[in-house]
Amino acid sequence: MGVLYCLMSMGINFIYGIMKVINWSMGEFFMIGAFVQYLLLTSFLGSRLWFVGVVLSAVAVFILGALVQKVLIKPMFVGIIDAKMEYATIVTISLAIFLRNIAVVIGGPYIYTPKDYAEPTQIFTLPMSGNRLVAFIGALVLLAGFYYFIKKTWTGKAFQGVAQNRTGIQTAGVNVLKYDMLAFGIGTALAGAAGALLAPIFLVHPQCGMVPTVRGFEIIVIAGLGSIPGILVAGLALGLVESLGSAFISPSYVDIYGFILLVAILSFKPYGLFGKTERTV
Amino acid sequence: MTETKAQPILDVHDVVKRFGGLKANDGVSMQLDTGEIRGLIGPNGSGKTTLINQVTGIYDVTKGSIHYFDRQINGLRPDVIASLGIMRTFQVARVFRDMTVLENMLIPALAQGQRRGKATSRAKELLDFALLTRLMDKPAKSLSGGQNMLLQIVRGFMINGLKLYVMDEPFAGVHQSIKGIIIKSIKMMNKDKNVTFLIVSHEMATVSSLCSKVTVLAKGQRIAEGSMKTVANNPEVIDAYLGGAKKDVHVEG
Amino acid sequence: MKRSHLQYFGIAALLLVLVVLPRMISDYWVYVITIAYFYTVMAASWNLLGGYTGQFSLAHHTFAMFGAYGSSLLMVKAGFPFWLSIPAVIVLTMLVSAVLGILCLRVQGLYLALITWAFAEVCRNYVRLHYAFTGGDRGMDTPLIFGTLKPLPYYYLFLGIAIFCIVLIALVMKSRVGFYLRSIRDDPIAARSMGVNIVRYKIVAFMLASGIAGMAGAFYGHSIGLISPIMGDFNEMAMIIIFVVIGGMRTQPGPIVGALSVRYLMELLREYAEVRIVILSAIVILVMRFYNGGLMQLWGQVRRRFGGGSDGPVSAYETKSS
Repeated sequence: MGVLYCLMSMGINFIYGIMKVINWSMGEFFMIGAFVQYLLLTSFLGSRLWFVGVVLSAVAVFILGALVQKVLIKPMFVGIIDAKMEYATIVTISLAIFLRNIAVVIGGPYIYTPKDYAEPTQIFTLPMSGNRLVAFIGALVLLAGFYYFIKKTWTGKAFQGVAQNRTGIQTAGVNVLKYDMLAFGIGTALAGAAGALLAPIFLVHPQCGMVPTVRGFEIIVIAGLGSIPGILVAGLALGLVESLGSAFISPSYVDIYGFILLVAILSFKPYGLFGKTERTV
Repeated sequence: MTETKAQPILDVHDVVKRFGGLKANDGVSMQLDTGEIRGLIGPNGSGKTTLINQVTGIYDVTKGSIHYFDRQINGLRPDVIASLGIMRTFQVARVFRDMTVLENMLIPALAQGQRRGKATSRAKELLDFALLTRLMDKPAKSLSGGQNMLLQIVRGFMINGLKLYVMDEPFAGVHQSIKGIIIKSIKMMNKDKNVTFLIVSHEMATVSSLCSKVTVLAKGQRIAEGSMKTVANNPEVIDAYLGGAKKDVHVEG
Repeated sequence: MKRSHLQYFGIAALLLVLVVLPRMISDYWVYVITIAYFYTVMAASWNLLGGYTGQFSLAHHTFAMFGAYGSSLLMVKAGFPFWLSIPAVIVLTMLVSAVLGILCLRVQGLYLALITWAFAEVCRNYVRLHYAFTGGDRGMDTPLIFGTLKPLPYYYLFLGIAIFCIVLIALVMKSRVGFYLRSIRDDPIAARSMGVNIVRYKIVAFMLASGIAGMAGAFYGHSIGLISPIMGDFNEMAMIIIFVVIGGMRTQPGPIVGALSVRYLMELLREYAEVRIVILSAIVILVMRFYNGGLMQLWGQVRRRFGGGSDGPVSAYETKSS
């Protein structure tokens, strides 16, 4: 399960790396992805073609994300806004509330259940829901794809450049504003894809983005902002801690195990396991 | 009978600073005597700002040590260092933008425990000297860059017992008239209160007239030290600035 | 000075109105306004932390929930009387916030937001799940301070609490601590280099604000008779931010004006529960994008237009030189 949450963390971290902004509404893009997926499946795709739906949902969320970035976030970087962190935090939190409640207004406070993606199967001797397996593989595919994109393609390297030295890369002729928008779109698309993948597990309803977001953020804090492989490690650690805690102590406190892990790590490493202390002056 | 030299106010000993793979300071040593006005010059990227950041507590050294009189200060928090009588200004003026000019002045005084009434009159005096009085109640963000640099500088003078003042590029991009006030204030504090100054700057003429001695950094190392005239004719220094094109350059004065 | 005399007179008049108000309106509205006072306290205390000090805590509502549940649990399970359980829970809240603060205030502000957010969710779920102890989703019946559900005494109680908190916060912001907090928001590195111990004051602000939230929550719990985990819902936190932003961050009257006016608006739109939040969050986005100072900025502009007053400093905290 930890791996699934990594998709969220990846998106958040990516956006942060490029724009130094934490997008609090990631959970809502997750939710939108889930809704779009559901609509696609029930209207004309049918449940067999669910993986097509995932891709389409991701694209839809990408477009929405890019739009949001253009209208709301970009002004931060073209000199209009004064207190940037404050602005970003409040605006993205408000956006989250806005999207969540608009979903309730449009779709009603109901829970939608998409059809299973796959039959329940068995891994060795443990019964496992087919959905989880599929989602797990899907998440790995997406994460691997994303990793490849960042490390190997030219665009990916451009993103790395923007994250490392924003002013420097402008002198190399890169239009950072365009990359900002792309980054936001990609980050939200990752969340949307996660939402689409996880739709049969978490079910589709306006609040469905909340739990993944909490986990996503916990992973980021544990890993430390700015480290991509760290996220995988943290995701696995979190998943592990949660499963162990649920198995040996009690499943009802599942949230708390993750949080305790977080607290424990922060006490010794305030920046997270792999977090980079930023050069401030 | 050997005469022992007075203890230096600042003793930077073999300081190395690494950021991941980058070595910003590679074994830099220098000593400041009390009452000096020292220039710290060198081409871009030579490690000047990094060095003074370690002196003022923004970073700790990777290796080496920094002593203030006989107290080791590397690794101390910036606010602790400030309480010892060390102030600094930043290359890009850091003022409290949403607070008024007067309130900006009060911060270091209040942090030191001064009484507000006294601090306020002292602040007004300094603002008067700096010709900033008419801007006193305006938020700092409405000031120009040069005015903010000046504000930064006189703000540091509010501390009681100011002994060492480190300035990072105080003259960069600053209007001539403001530059004049800055120079005047440095000379005054140095003469009246024996404040030691360490000034990073690229403005050779100003450094030359203000600083009795300069230290030159290049590529993270100290390559020369001495009066401006000596240093300017040092071939290594010329090399560092011109990057290999050897020319005969003489500096007047 | 003329202006400050006018201000004091205005405040006195306002207080007078508020004191006699209950006689002129229905019981239901008295109740509504009482709750609005609660939110005023929450908004003002968050403004201290998030507005003035620049530390975004997303668990402010959680501390209120903590105060409410804590005080009632101490009374019901441990037999504490009111005058003991409420201070006890305030102290506990401050301790918890101190621990949280030490964990995450050592580094940049982003981490505080992330961790308080996670903390808020964890706490809410804990209250929901642990139904044997807390009553879970069904809620918990709480002992009432005045032993009755009539709104009148609670109105004055909360009016008093609101006044107390507002005055307390105003005094803090006028003191040198207020200077430190504002400098922390404006430029923590410069503040440090000027000698301000920013970690200490961040924690102080966090403890103070959270303690006030805990206190407000405790009284709230004992005033409405039934508390539930909804207090810890993220919507509650969002509302607090909405009040502060719409009213005007970093001003004294801002959170008050914001809380009261928005609560009024919310009450009018009572039937449209989600729609009103949609509208409000959209307004917040617009305010942040185009009109940063909120209602207080509007007020300042109106005053300048009509009063022809001096082009005073933007911060409502100006230290007037004369």
